[in-house]
Amino acid sequence: MLELEKKIEHLRKDLDYITDIKGEIFGERLTEIRNWLSEIAKKIYELPRERAETALNDIEAQIEFFEQEAEKYLEPLDYVRIARHPYRMTLKDILENVYDDYTELGGEEKCNIDPAMVVARATISRRVGSRVYTHQVMVIGHEKGHGEEFRNGGSAKPWGNEKALRFMRVAETEGIPIHTYIFTPGAYPIEDPPGAAQQIARNLYAMARLKVPIIAVISEGGSGGAEAIGLADLRLMFSHGYYSVISPEGAAAIEGKIKEGQDLPPELVKSCAEQLKITASENLKLGTIDRIIQEPPLGAKGDDFEFFNQLKHEMIKATDEVVLKVRGLSVLRGYYVKKKTGEKNNAVYVRWELDEKEISKLLKQRAEKYENMGRGFFADRRSFLKKRVDEVCYGWLKIKSLLYFGIFKRPYRWVKRFVDDLRGEFLIITDRVLRPFTNLKGAIEKKFKRPTVQLAYEVPPKEDTYLGEIYVSPLANEDRTISCPNALRYGCYDIWVPDLYGELNGVCPNCGHHFPLEYQWYMNHLFDKHSIKEFNTEIASINPLGYQGFDEKLKEAVRKTKRHSALITFDARVRGISLVVVMLYSDFRNGTVGAAEGEKFILACKRAKVLRRPLLAYVHGTAGIRIHEGTIGVVQMPKCTVAVREYIEAGGLYIVVYDNNSYAGPVASFLGCAPYQFAIRSSRVGFAGPRVIRETTGEDVPPDYHSAENALKRGHIQGIWDRRDFRKNLYMALITMGGKNLYYR
Amino acid sequence: MPKILIANRGEIAIRIMQACKELGLDYIAVYTKEDEASLHVRRAIEERGKESVFRISSYLDPNEFLEVADYTKCDAIHPGYGFLTENYRFARRLAIRKRPLIFIGPRWEVLREFGSKINTKCIAKRLGIPVVPGSDKPIYNEIEAENIALELFHRQWEEGIKRPAILVKASMGSGGMGIEEVTHPIELRRVYRRLRQYVKRQFGDEDVLLERKFPVFNHIEVQLVCSQHGEAVHFGTRNCTIQSVFRQKRIEVAPAFNHNYKYQFDPEEVTKRAIQYSLKMADYVGYDSVGTWEWIVTPEGQLYLLEVNPRIQVESGVSGSITKIRHLPVGVDLVKEQIRIALGEKLGYKQKHISFHGASIEFRLVAEDTKCGFKPWGGTITKFQLPKYDWLKVYTHVPSDRPYSIPSDYDPNLALAIVWGRDIEEAKERGEKFLNEIKIEGKNQEASIVTNIEFLKEKLKKIQMFE
Repeated sequence: MLELEKKIEHLRKDLDYITDIKGEIFGERLTEIRNWLSEIAKKIYELPRERAETALNDIEAQIEFFEQEAEKYLEPLDYVRIARHPYRMTLKDILENVYDDYTELGGEEKCNIDPAMVVARATISRRVGSRVYTHQVMVIGHEKGHGEEFRNGGSAKPWGNEKALRFMRVAETEGIPIHTYIFTPGAYPIEDPPGAAQQIARNLYAMARLKVPIIAVISEGGSGGAEAIGLADLRLMFSHGYYSVISPEGAAAIEGKIKEGQDLPPELVKSCAEQLKITASENLKLGTIDRIIQEPPLGAKGDDFEFFNQLKHEMIKATDEVVLKVRGLSVLRGYYVKKKTGEKNNAVYVRWELDEKEISKLLKQRAEKYENMGRGFFADRRSFLKKRVDEVCYGWLKIKSLLYFGIFKRPYRWVKRFVDDLRGEFLIITDRVLRPFTNLKGAIEKKFKRPTVQLAYEVPPKEDTYLGEIYVSPLANEDRTISCPNALRYGCYDIWVPDLYGELNGVCPNCGHHFPLEYQWYMNHLFDKHSIKEFNTEIASINPLGYQGFDEKLKEAVRKTKRHSALITFDARVRGISLVVVMLYSDFRNGTVGAAEGEKFILACKRAKVLRRPLLAYVHGTAGIRIHEGTIGVVQMPKCTVAVREYIEAGGLYIVVYDNNSYAGPVASFLGCAPYQFAIRSSRVGFAGPRVIRETTGEDVPPDYHSAENALKRGHIQGIWDRRDFRKNLYMALITMGGKNLYYR
Repeated sequence: MPKILIANRGEIAIRIMQACKELGLDYIAVYTKEDEASLHVRRAIEERGKESVFRISSYLDPNEFLEVADYTKCDAIHPGYGFLTENYRFARRLAIRKRPLIFIGPRWEVLREFGSKINTKCIAKRLGIPVVPGSDKPIYNEIEAENIALELFHRQWEEGIKRPAILVKASMGSGGMGIEEVTHPIELRRVYRRLRQYVKRQFGDEDVLLERKFPVFNHIEVQLVCSQHGEAVHFGTRNCTIQSVFRQKRIEVAPAFNHNYKYQFDPEEVTKRAIQYSLKMADYVGYDSVGTWEWIVTPEGQLYLLEVNPRIQVESGVSGSITKIRHLPVGVDLVKEQIRIALGEKLGYKQKHISFHGASIEFRLVAEDTKCGFKPWGGTITKFQLPKYDWLKVYTHVPSDRPYSIPSDYDPNLALAIVWGRDIEEAKERGEKFLNEIKIEGKNQEASIVTNIEFLKEKLKKIQMFE
C-alpha cells in the first residue's frame, strides 16, 4: 500500500503544479480530479487494491492529458511562473542525476559563503561501446532550492559571484571544462565589497579569455546575474526557461510608471512579458542562445529522471562540440555530433583537454561569437557609397598602422632598447674614469647651481588672459539663485545661476558640490579646441523586438538630441595626445545601452586598438541596459566586455570616468571591468537604484549609498576627480597609466 | 536722490556715511549680530532712522545684500574694502542682473584683470613696466617651479646676498594671505605643494607664483583717481613699509620719501617714475575708479610693481589729507570722489589743479599682542578716549561712552588716526603726542587689554628709512 500512497502524493504534487501554472484554463475540471483523488486517498485502505490502482492510473492519464493540453496554451508569463516554481528542478537535482559524482566546493547547504551559488567538482561519464569514459568538469550555477529561505531564490550575492570566479580560475589551472547553470532572477543588488556590479564585470572580464571550454545552460536568466556566469562558448537553454533583461514585473513598473507600493496591473505585466521576448524559442530566433534543450510538458520537475538522462547527453554533446570545433583531427566526429542529434548512445569519444594552440583558437572563436551576437538589430543610416568608402578608409588605416607600428616602430624600439642598455653600461665606465675630475669640479662649483634649463620669459599670448569665446552652458541664462544641497552642513551661500553654470563650472565654491551639467560642456571643455571628430554617427537605435510604443519614444529622443543613439564615439585630443572617446549620455533614452550602442562601442574599441590610442569611456549617465531591446540588450554586456578585454590585452589604456548617475548593466560589464575607473565628485555609481534594492531585499538604503565617496571606500573606483581638474587629471592619467603599446610610448 | 547700500562695517562704513551726507545722498546700512553695538549702526540709526538699518547674517553673502538693496530700492552698493570688494563676480552680478545696480568701484572686467597677480604681472610686462623677478605665468609642474626657484636663488647669490630667499605667493591671495618664504631650494617643493593645496581650498584657484624676496625694501603706493570719462589723476604717493608679520599695514606716511634723508637714489625721480607707470597701466586697462598701485623700492632705487588694489583703501585718507584741489582747503575725501565717479560724474579738475601740502601719518590702532606674533586680543573695552586736535582725524567704530566688546569674527581694529603736519618732522612729533595721549582700558577673563601702541611708537622713528 505504501507505493499507492506515494503515487497519490506524487499525483497531488503534479496537480498542484498544473493548477499553479495554468489552472485557469481548466476551471472546475481540476477541482473535480482533486476531489476524486482525495476520495481515493481517504478510502485507500478500504478499496480493493486493483480498483485503487486503476483509479489512480486513470487520474494519472487525466493529468498527463492536462499537462499536454496546458503545454499548447503556454504564454510567456507562464514560462516565468514555471521557472520560478518551487517544484522546478534545481541545480542540486541536476548534480545528483546528471553527474555521476560530485563534491560541493566551498560548503554545503547553509554552510556556504553564498548558498545561492553552488560550485562543485563533478564527473560526467559516457559509455562508448563497452567502455565507460569519465570526464572531470567544474559545475557552477545558481541554486534556487525548493523554496528554502536561505537560498535567496538564486540571487547570488557579490561574494557568491566572486566564489564562482575563483573556481573558474581553478578549472582554468586544471584544464577542465566548465558547465554553468543559470537559475537566477537577477543578482542581489548590494554594494558591499566586492560589489554586485563590479564583481559581475570582473567575472565577465575573466570569462572573456578563460582558457577552458565553457557551456552555459539557462533556466531562469535574469539580466546581469545571469551574465555573471553566462559568457560561454555555447549557450543552451531549457525549453521552459526564460531569459530576459528584466523581470516582467519590473518592466511593467517602469513602463507604466507605477509608484512604489501600488499594485501592478496584471494585463500590463502580461503584455510586458510578451513584448520582452523572453522564451527560449524567441531567444533562439534573436541569436542570443545557441540551442534549446527540450523539456517534458510544463517543464522538468525535480523527479523527471528521463529528462536528466537526456540532459546528460546534451551536456556531453555540447562540450564535445566546443572541443571538436578547435580540435585539428575532428572531421568525422564533428560531422557525427552535428548530424546525429537524436541518438543517445553515439559512439563518439572526445578528449576534453586542450593544448595551447587549441586554446588560442577557442578564445578567438569565443571573441568572434560575441562580436557577432546582436548584429543586425541596429540600423546603419549610411548610404551604400559611404559604407564602401568607410570600409576602404578603415582598411587603409589598418595597413598604415601595421606599417608604422609593426614594420617601422618595432625594430626602432629594439634598437632603442639596445642603445639604452649600451649607454647604461658605458656610463659605468665613463663615470669611473671621470670621477676624480667631477669631484674636483664639484668642489669648485658654486653653492647654487645654475639651472641647466634656461628660462625663456615670454609674454603669454592674449588668449591666456582674455579668454575668448568659451562654451557656456545654456543653464546659465537665468537670473536666479540656487541653494547648495550641502548648505545646512557647510554653510554655503546661495549661488547665482549665471555664475554657477558659467565660471564656477557647476561647482559650489564653498563645499565643492557638483551640480549636473549637460554633456556638451564636457565635449567643449575637456578636449583641445576643434579636435573632436565624431565617427559612426549613422549607426542608429531601432526597435528590434517591435516593442509597442517604443518607436515613438525613440523618435522623440532623436528629435530632442539630434543623434541616433545614446553613445557618442569620437576622436579627440587632450593637450596634444590623441585618444578615442566613447561617451554615454543621458539625454537619449536615459543613456541606456542597446544593440547600436554596443556596436558603436566595439567599433571604437577596435579603432583605438588599430591606432594604438588610449580609450576613454566617459559616462555622463546611464540607466542600464535598454529594456525595450530585451535580451539583445543583455548580450551587449558580454559583447562589449570581450572587446574591452581584447583592447586591454593589446596593450592599450582604458579609462572609465563616471558622472551623474551610472547604474546597472553597463557598470556591471564593459565599464566596471576597467582597471582605471574614476568618478566625478557628487556622482553616483552602483548596480541598482534604491527602489529596486528596497523591492528585492526589503531593506532601505541610506541616501548616500551609491555616492562616489562610498564607492571609493568600497574599492569600486580608483579615485574621485573634480570637474574643474578633469582635463588636467586626464592628461596626467594618459601620461602615466596604460600599457606599453600606446602610440606615444 | 540716489540711494546707496553700505555693504561693510566699522570705520569704512562711517567714512562712507560721512561722504554720503556731504554729497547729499541717502543710504542704507547693514550690520551683523556681533556688530550691534558698533558706532556705525548707531550713527545710521541716528541719521536715517531704524527703517534704513538692516541686520544680516554675514557681510560675505551677496544674496543678502541684494535682497536688502531690492527691498529698499537702492541704486548703488558701496562694498568698502575687504569682504566683497574685489569679488569681480559680485560686481558682474550687479551689472548684468535684471535690476542692475551700480557697483561703487571699478568695472568688473578690471577687477578680474587685477584679481590675479599673475595676470597683473602679464599686463605690466606687456607695457614694459618692471615687475618683481620671478614667474609671470601659470606654473604647471613642480620641476618647472624648481627651475624658476633655482634661477632666482642663483641670481641673488650672484648679487652677493648672503641669505637668499624667495616668496611663494598665491595668485589670488590678498591681504597678506597665501604667502610663504623659502630660504633654500630644498624646501621649495614642500612649501609649494602645501601652498597650492591651501590656495585651492581658500580661493578655488591653484595658481601660485614664485618671486624673489628683498631683504630690505620700501613699500610705496601711488594713489590714482580715474573717472569713467577717461580722466586720470594721481593723488601722490604713500609709504607703507611698516607692516605686521602677517603683512598688514600698520603705519602709512604720505608722501613716500623724506627729502631730508640721504637715499642712494633720487626719490623725486623714483616717485615720478612710479606715478608715470601707474598712469600708463591705468590708461591701458581703462581704469575707472579710485585705485592704488603698489610698488617695491629697493635701497638702490630699483622699482618693481607688486600688485594693484582696485578699491578704496584703508589708508586713502592719508593721501587725501595732504592734497589740495584748486583753492579749496587742504584735505580731499577720496570716498566721496569714488562715489561721485561711480555715479558717472566727471572729475571737475585736472592734475595741474592738485597740489600737496605738508605730510601726514596714519596709525592703525589694533588690539593685538605685537610681542607674541601679533596675536589678536579679544575682550571688552571699558574706557576708550582719544585726544582731539584740529590736526588729527580719527575714524573709529568703538563707542567711548559705553563698554564695547570686540567681535571675534573680524580683525580687532579699534581706530584709524591720521595726523597732519606742515612737514614730516612735525607730523612725527604730533603723532607721538597723539599716541601718548590715548587712554584705553579693557579686560577679558585673563588679562587687561593689549594694543599695538608701543609698536607704533617704536616704528614711528624708523618710517621712510631703509633698514
